[in-house]
Amino acid sequence: MKKEEEYAIEVQDVYKTFDVYLDKANSLKEKMLFWKRNRKEVREVLKGINLNIKKGEAVALIGVNGSGKSTLLKLMTKIIYPNKGKIITHGKLTSLLELGAGFHADFSGRENIYFNASIFGLTKKEIDNRLEQIIEFSELKDYIDNPVRTYSSGMFMRLAFAVAINVDADILLVDEILSVGDQHFQAKCIDKMKELRNEGKTMVFVTHSLGSAKELCDRAVWLSNGVIKMDGDTNTVVERYIEETK
Amino acid sequence: MGFFKGLYDYRELLKTSISKDIRGKYKNSILGIFWSFLNPLLQIAVYALVFPLLMRGSTVENYTVFICCGLIPWTFFSTAISRTSFTIIENGNIVKKVYFPREILPISVVTSEAINFVISTIIIIAFVLGYGIGLSKYIIFYPIVLLVQYFLLIGISFIVSSVTVYFRDLQHFIGIALQLLFYATPIVYAPGQIPESFQWIIQYNPMTYIINAFRDIFYYQQMPDFVSLGVVLAISIALCFIGYFIFHKLQKKFAEEM
Ligand SMILES: Nc1ncnc2c1ncn2[C@@H]1O[C@H](COP(=O)(O)OP(=O)(O)OP(=O)(O)O)[C@@H](O)[C@H]1O
Ligand SMILES: [Mg+2]
Repeated sequence: MKKEEEYAIEVQDVYKTFDVYLDKANSLKEKMLFWKRNRKEVREVLKGINLNIKKGEAVALIGVNGSGKSTLLKLMTKIIYPNKGKIITHGKLTSLLELGAGFHADFSGRENIYFNASIFGLTKKEIDNRLEQIIEFSELKDYIDNPVRTYSSGMFMRLAFAVAINVDADILLVDEILSVGDQHFQAKCIDKMKELRNEGKTMVFVTHSLGSAKELCDRAVWLSNGVIKMDGDTNTVVERYIEETK
Repeated sequence: MGFFKGLYDYRELLKTSISKDIRGKYKNSILGIFWSFLNPLLQIAVYALVFPLLMRGSTVENYTVFICCGLIPWTFFSTAISRTSFTIIENGNIVKKVYFPREILPISVVTSEAINFVISTIIIIAFVLGYGIGLSKYIIFYPIVLLVQYFLLIGISFIVSSVTVYFRDLQHFIGIALQLLFYATPIVYAPGQIPESFQWIIQYNPMTYIINAFRDIFYYQQMPDFVSLGVVLAISIALCFIGYFIFHKLQKKFAEEM
């Protein structure tokens, strides 16, 4: 019998620091020459994060600019790794951090769906099955065979979002991408995410739009200066957050 | 095991990046294939004209065919290595944005260069037929030699592709090293033609045995030396493990280094 884990994401005592080189030496020669002189600042971004997210939970991650929200999401997707601590995820994970990875401007929208979806780990057959759905969601039927460089930036984002949201992952990490597209498309994205939430997907959702946080998530986590300042019911946390950051 | 599962899960990405590479090279046309053959043919012509002049007297029979059998596998080796030294940085935009098994990048470069090599083998076959040497039954060992070279390149590419992210100027160094290694490999000369005191250089060079094996198959038409080839295979597989270990360690900071 397959063991059912209770948690989708477990963040255990995670620390993340970035080395910021003021004069970045990228070459061997420079690294040798400026052996000792490399001016380096160590920036502590996350200082001991503990966070367990249950399967099927929708969690909003809030905090001021630079508080480490995107960093935490990047750690969860394994684009970057913690200096200390551990992150365990259970289930297929998709991140909507930066959209349009692997897009080639000279190829058509349709071809780019294939490039982009393959980076998310889909097979040809899986992409074939989802193609119609993706095109329909993007509402770019008339443009789908045109090169992507002829798209407006909103159209580009719509296509990218349509691919990412249709990957059919168990865990969805979303970073401030609801600002893409026009009013109509934003509403559509929110609806789609609600639908996914109701299907029992796990979601972590970084946003500055506290309204949509309340709408989508039952739980909110407030990051401040690299630690979790508050964790709980979305309404309560958001209220305190608004009060303190006024 | 996670390594193989990752490759399997992302097989579509591996496939598209290889086919994009190959299609880009041949541009889906006969003319594209012609252009990609022109460069090795010109090189063969230059070496075949110049080197007999330099090495007065001691020439090899059917020297043009002899060079061809060495140069085509060498081109596979050197192009694959110099291309893997760029591959992570070249794909920086996806490495920074999404998670996928990073080793797909060097593996797809080496694999598409291997496919190019198989296509370029047409040149070798054209030469041995054109010069009346003909094909021998030993051609059945071609895939084995190719596989040995493939593993050697995979091992090297893991190291080269990950280390160059941290030390960018290593790319230039690799270019120079490959040029020197060209002369330390019996491509334009036969192993027996160089002085005793230099023999150790080619003896420690794994490419010597691979090129010898290709020559045995196509030029000398004899059984390749499987003992040496087995040693090279063992070293290559060890290199794959060591290389993967290094790659795996270094890949954790790829996104931050770019
Ligand atoms: N690659 C990097 N190198 C150095 N510092 C970094 C790097 N990435 C992030 N930081 C620093 O980490 C801190 C947190 O950044 P992060 O992007 O996680 O913030 P955020 O909470 O997402 O902010 P925002 O609301 O503006 O998106 C910032 O101080 C930023 O300068
Ligand atoms: Mg951010």
